[in-house]
Amino acid sequence: MNKIIIENALPNVFAHRTDITSDIWQAKAFFERGHLYLVEANSGTGKSSMCSYIIGYRHDYSGRILFDSDDIRQYGTGKWVELRQKSLSHVFQELRLFPELTAMENVLIKNNLTGFKDMKQIDEWFDALGIGDKKEQKIGKMSFGQQQRVAMIRALVQPFDFILADEPISHLDETNSRIMAEIMMTEAKKQGAGVIVTSIGKHMDLPYEKILKL
Amino acid sequence: MNLVWKLLRQHISIGQLVGFFFANLLGMLIVLLSLQFYSDIKPAFSQEDSFIKNDYLVVSKSISALGGFGGATQTFSESEISDIKAQSFCEEVGAFTASQYHVYTAFGMGASPAFGTDMFFESVPQSFVDVKSDLWHFEPDKGIVPIVLPRSYLAIYNFGFAPSQSLPKITEDVAGMVEITIIMRGNGLEERVKGRVVGFSNRLNTILAPEEFVSWSNARFAPNEDSSPTRLIVQVKNPADESIMKYFGDKGYDIADDKLDAGKTMFFLRVVSIIVMCIGLLISALSFYILMLSIYLLVQKNTQKLQNLLLIGYSPARVGLPYQLLTIGMNAVVFVMALLLLMIVRNYYLDMLWSVFPDMDTADILPAVLLGVALFVVVSILNIVAVHRKVIAIWENRI
Repeated sequence: MNKIIIENALPNVFAHRTDITSDIWQAKAFFERGHLYLVEANSGTGKSSMCSYIIGYRHDYSGRILFDSDDIRQYGTGKWVELRQKSLSHVFQELRLFPELTAMENVLIKNNLTGFKDMKQIDEWFDALGIGDKKEQKIGKMSFGQQQRVAMIRALVQPFDFILADEPISHLDETNSRIMAEIMMTEAKKQGAGVIVTSIGKHMDLPYEKILKL
Repeated sequence: MNLVWKLLRQHISIGQLVGFFFANLLGMLIVLLSLQFYSDIKPAFSQEDSFIKNDYLVVSKSISALGGFGGATQTFSESEISDIKAQSFCEEVGAFTASQYHVYTAFGMGASPAFGTDMFFESVPQSFVDVKSDLWHFEPDKGIVPIVLPRSYLAIYNFGFAPSQSLPKITEDVAGMVEITIIMRGNGLEERVKGRVVGFSNRLNTILAPEEFVSWSNARFAPNEDSSPTRLIVQVKNPADESIMKYFGDKGYDIADDKLDAGKTMFFLRVVSIIVMCIGLLISALSFYILMLSIYLLVQKNTQKLQNLLLIGYSPARVGLPYQLLTIGMNAVVFVMALLLLMIVRNYYLDMLWSVFPDMDTADILPAVLLGVALFVVVSILNIVAVHRKVIAIWENRI
């Protein structure tokens, strides 16, 4: 997958609104593999909706979203499973980690599925993000900032053409957000993937090639 | 441990699963047991004689104390026989023809006979007998007489006579190999022929020989005796026909109607078995609901986890698998336990049955096993489908 095109799309909940001025909704926007994008948004402008549409979790919009030339509405379950395993990685704003599992298990539950990274790489990431001593800690006992780092590691243990990072550093200090950005960009470059970061204010300090306002 | 399982076993209610387990076990056991018991006991009531046509009745005149001494005839006259023939329920009537001369029979294998007894023969018309025609045949020159004995004789020998005389018990197959010497006397003649047991009958209380033999020997050893029949064999169109009982009752004839009694018993047995089986199925169905409710509750409580697994790339099939395996595993354990319990209970009641019906053929356990397999498969498929639908509902964001 090389290109995500959002064409004249609008979340159904905004259908009655006439005051939409957005680079994405009711417009033609696209994201290309190998490039770095920032989507800036105010609260309630449909940022999480956009991520949900791209990941195939929700379909409550009008207009079209295309992966290359395919309208994603035609994708079936099997295709979405394949995309989520091999083409689309997502750091969820609400993280979607499993509080009953430890930090390491949260990463392994994904890596067991993809078999993409070895333990050495995963350990290195834990250490680099300053949570090397928290691997065996239950996610439920960790701070949100620590959880965000685990969520990022989990997002990286799969092959992807695009990575969507939905407010990945909202609870991180500058140092850690810089390290996280580095790790993410290194991995994305290695895979030649596109990076889409969203933010409602504080955002990763990165050389964005394009900034879109929602 | 498998991380997905570690995650999804959260909120599993052991209490609910135990409840399902025992309810399902009870239900399945009742279903299998009712089927097995029915098929085990069926032969005891419906043993059929393979060599004789089925829907027949044996009719005789009542023996009364007065009649017995007063000389009232026990035989059927030609007109009585043709009257029966004329009845609408009647398909065919045959007379039992008895031997009218003296018969002594010696039984034994090899040269020395084990025991001997005075005896008689009766025959029914060839058309009532279903033994292969080459077996049920007598030619005076070749001289081997095929004989059908009441099965109770074998039981009398095996359980009464043989133990008291230190003789070996014999099976029906062995009985066919026993050498029988028949010594016939009458009309100033004495002759010996060989005999062979070709079958046993539950329903004919007589020693049956081919019609050819009885008429030949009667003509030879008792040419002047009256051989009017004392018993008739009547083939009927429908044994349940009420007019049969009425006609013979009015005439004062006795019917050896064990067939009718056994039929009623079988009918009751079948009704009771079906009722019990339905109760078992009902319990099974209810237990299935318990399991489904438990699984639904589990899925509901774990909706967030299932959804997250789907969102990070797990397929619905993979996510539903642990719950499907859980239910299949439980169903399989229930099935195996039910079979084991079935065999234990069966051994217990078979001992009792054998003491009542010593020569009973036992039924195969295969139909019950197949029924169990069928129940297991059906319930498991329903479980699999139900779990899959639930997971798909989560996938489609409907929960």
